[in-house]
Amino acid sequence: MPALGTFVLLTAFVTCAYAIAASVAGARRRSTRLVESGIGAFYFLAALMTVASAVLIHAFVTGNYAIKYVQRYSDTAQPLAYKIASYWGGLDGSIMFWVFLLSIFGSVAIYVNRDRHRELIPYVVSVIAATEMFFIFLMIIHKNPFSTFLTTPPADGAGLTPLLQNFYMAIHPPSMYVGFVAMTVPFAFGIAALVTGHLDDAWLRAVRRWTMLGWLFLSFGLTLGMLWAYEELGWGGYWMWDPVENAGLLPWFTATAFLHSVRVQEQRGMLRVWNVTLVIVTFFLTIFGTFMTRSGVVQSVHAFGEDRELALLFTIFMVFILTFSFGWVIYRLPLLRSRHEFDSFVSREAAFLANNWILLFSAFFVLFATMFPTLSEAVTGERLTVAAPFFNRWMLPIGLILLTLTGIGPLLAWRKSTVSNLVYQLKWPVLAFVVTAGALYALGVRVWSSGTCFALCAMVLTTIIQEFVRGAQVRRDATGTDIFTALIGLVGRSKRRYGGYIVHVGIVLMFLGFAGEGFKQEEQALMKVGEQLTVGHFAIRHDALRVTNDSQKQMVTGHVSVYEDGELVGSLEPAKWYFNKREEEPTTEVAIRRAITEDLYVVLAGFDASAQTATYTVTINPLVNWIWLGFGIMALGTGIALLPERAIAFATSSVPAGAAGATTSLLVLLLLLPSAVHAQHVESPEARRTTAARTPLEKELWRELICMCGTCGRKRIGDFCCSHAAKMRFEVAKLLDEGKTRDEIYQYFIAQYGSQEPLGAPIDKGFNRLAWLFPYLVGASGAVAVAFVAMRWSRREEETPAVAGATAEDASLRSRLDDELRDLD
Amino acid sequence: MKPRTIKIAATAAVLVAALSGLMYTTLSEGTEYYKHVDEVMSDPTAWQGKRMSLHGYVVDKSIFAKPDTLEYRFQIQSKGKVVAARYTGVMPDTFKDGSEVVLKGQLGPHGFDVSPNGVMAKCPSKYEASRTPGTPGI
Repeated sequence: MPALGTFVLLTAFVTCAYAIAASVAGARRRSTRLVESGIGAFYFLAALMTVASAVLIHAFVTGNYAIKYVQRYSDTAQPLAYKIASYWGGLDGSIMFWVFLLSIFGSVAIYVNRDRHRELIPYVVSVIAATEMFFIFLMIIHKNPFSTFLTTPPADGAGLTPLLQNFYMAIHPPSMYVGFVAMTVPFAFGIAALVTGHLDDAWLRAVRRWTMLGWLFLSFGLTLGMLWAYEELGWGGYWMWDPVENAGLLPWFTATAFLHSVRVQEQRGMLRVWNVTLVIVTFFLTIFGTFMTRSGVVQSVHAFGEDRELALLFTIFMVFILTFSFGWVIYRLPLLRSRHEFDSFVSREAAFLANNWILLFSAFFVLFATMFPTLSEAVTGERLTVAAPFFNRWMLPIGLILLTLTGIGPLLAWRKSTVSNLVYQLKWPVLAFVVTAGALYALGVRVWSSGTCFALCAMVLTTIIQEFVRGAQVRRDATGTDIFTALIGLVGRSKRRYGGYIVHVGIVLMFLGFAGEGFKQEEQALMKVGEQLTVGHFAIRHDALRVTNDSQKQMVTGHVSVYEDGELVGSLEPAKWYFNKREEEPTTEVAIRRAITEDLYVVLAGFDASAQTATYTVTINPLVNWIWLGFGIMALGTGIALLPERAIAFATSSVPAGAAGATTSLLVLLLLLPSAVHAQHVESPEARRTTAARTPLEKELWRELICMCGTCGRKRIGDFCCSHAAKMRFEVAKLLDEGKTRDEIYQYFIAQYGSQEPLGAPIDKGFNRLAWLFPYLVGASGAVAVAFVAMRWSRREEETPAVAGATAEDASLRSRLDDELRDLD
Repeated sequence: MKPRTIKIAATAAVLVAALSGLMYTTLSEGTEYYKHVDEVMSDPTAWQGKRMSLHGYVVDKSIFAKPDTLEYRFQIQSKGKVVAARYTGVMPDTFKDGSEVVLKGQLGPHGFDVSPNGVMAKCPSKYEASRTPGTPGI
């Protein structure tokens, strides 16, 4: 099998080369056949990378420890999900995963745009293929995930680091990678436009949606990263300006800048060089981020370790990207001239420009500060470090300025705002700011920076509400419907604008969460049984310390009673888990009592089992949940903005809106899932009674059977998740006592629950093997179906521009509305 | 075109100057030295009172914790030079004899005073399995 993997990679490399050559030659000779063959090769590449991924995943699932990569990042005891997630757990695999995603995304992008941007396609193909080629090259010569042991391979793997064995591992890296990879598509279109000279605004349309999609995934990935840090690492916060976090943030800044400035180009034909530059820089930063984390140039908890050869290869590639891209920009400067002059500083353009400069400055600041230790060592020979306070000091005012612009920008008119216009627009938002600021001051809330942030949040929210209300009023008067229908119609009519506002609402909520950080309280104490520790209006009492075992790990759990304002409100069970084979790296299981106003966050920081003492770190994190909530709303807004341009013939076409709703609720659901998974299970006394399996067979059964209570998230019964698992263990014990065999016990549970569901793994025989494939097949066909439906929708709208009657009405309505809305602008 | 170019250039120059000025002043407060124990202990008086991240390895059997408190005393070394350190707070799980640590704090006359939450013990590595020279396998 590993030989097959390596062979597929080699084939992919050759295919890349062919795709590039055929496309460029085809474009230059205007040979449709060559171009088509280049596209064919490009699709083939996606197929090859899928095969390579399948081979690697197969190796993980079947435990082929002859492959070094598999040996290093998995072991037999790991649950299936983590075996699959181990694919991207290490450096070699993550590079391959990157190429896999890029080949899939690239193919979709080519497929969707192949008719609309015919002249650009060959160059898009070659740019994406060239990027893939670089990464495949890296794998082949330096980091082949399929390389095998030349000597006798170990019998079992080293296992994935326990820290990575959690829900977020399965979802945070893929989301980040999708975000990164999606940014390659706009870059490819940008370069294609530069090379062909088709620099009208058509390419922007193709690029905008991909950037938006990438931006959504990047935001999702960053949020998940924060959640991961918050819930798993146990230091009480979610962001510490670690180089790897920053690497994800850098392209996020520039992509955000692009999504704003693209509006200026569409509306006014300005900032054209700027937009191309942003697309290039965003792509460059995704590569640079990968470089930074993979080559060991910066020190980080995430970093993969030093690797000079990799650093060199990446540097060459990055220099090439920059020279090539900016070479073309300079060559095409005459075509990129702005169509209009800048009119006034009090205009929407100016606000967008300010927003862009600040975002770009943020990106460069973060880049500079992240690289500072490396730079200072190179320049002065003295390694100087900068820490989170330095970042915060700069990013705090920057964030607040951006927040202000979020409130003011949308109210300014294009070209130039008149004074009366300004007064009309800014009256309520400024009032909201002043009232909130006054109220907060009276209440004694700190003015800088939390107070300012709250007041600004109030202002921005007022702005957005005002936009919605005024727009809806205009539409109601124009269409004669009620205000609610008008509101929906308004959003459907200009999805990007109002979707954008909804994104802004999400941002405001996130800022609320960030401002809450200013009121954080933290205490640490070493406590004997019965002692209390007071933090804010909470108090905790250390009740007991218990040590338990399961098949994978030893668990040390502190039992804590929680008092709020002197009243007992519940209990928490923070723990430390010591995974077998990884005892020196225990994982911290944080116990969080969530509330919309504040989280009580308890960490078992240390313990002495014999003395029953425990050290707890107790943190109160006000408003932190608003960050996650804010992301949900942001995703909703992006979903609305991403709806196919013509899919909503009018707000009445409810199906695509439903699809967007579904996508968004899916994202929100995914985000909420961890809280369900991590919600602490109530252990009944019965569950604790049997702590050890009596025979090896019983132990195996504990690992193979799944708790069927329906809330444990398919934990194995050996995981002591709840009383239902205890009941099932009890049943197992009884059956074993009756002398039943393993198969008979299986049959008993299958009969009891009516399916093979209680089995952790389907019985690995004949037809049942298909069951392994089933979830993937469902997933894949679901994706295909969604893609198909999405295409049908968008195409039908294009081919038949709605029903005749509706069209006439629409047209007149639209023109009237346009007039109204323009006035509003 | 000319006055416009000048205007833009002047604005840019002022902005750049202001920002780099700010950056410079904040940097001098925000940065700290990153040093190894041997570098600092070869001339301890020169480093006293300066904030830094100190890199070294915990000396075997040097960790003492005052019972029922979070006060720790230990020594770290590199290339034969040793420094005593004091710390009050929660120790990371990976802090033990021989582990590689980075301490944030400053050097005083009696040793290194670690600031709150200033102990970072390096895991072998979070993503890559550790590869110490001479160990076969992996």
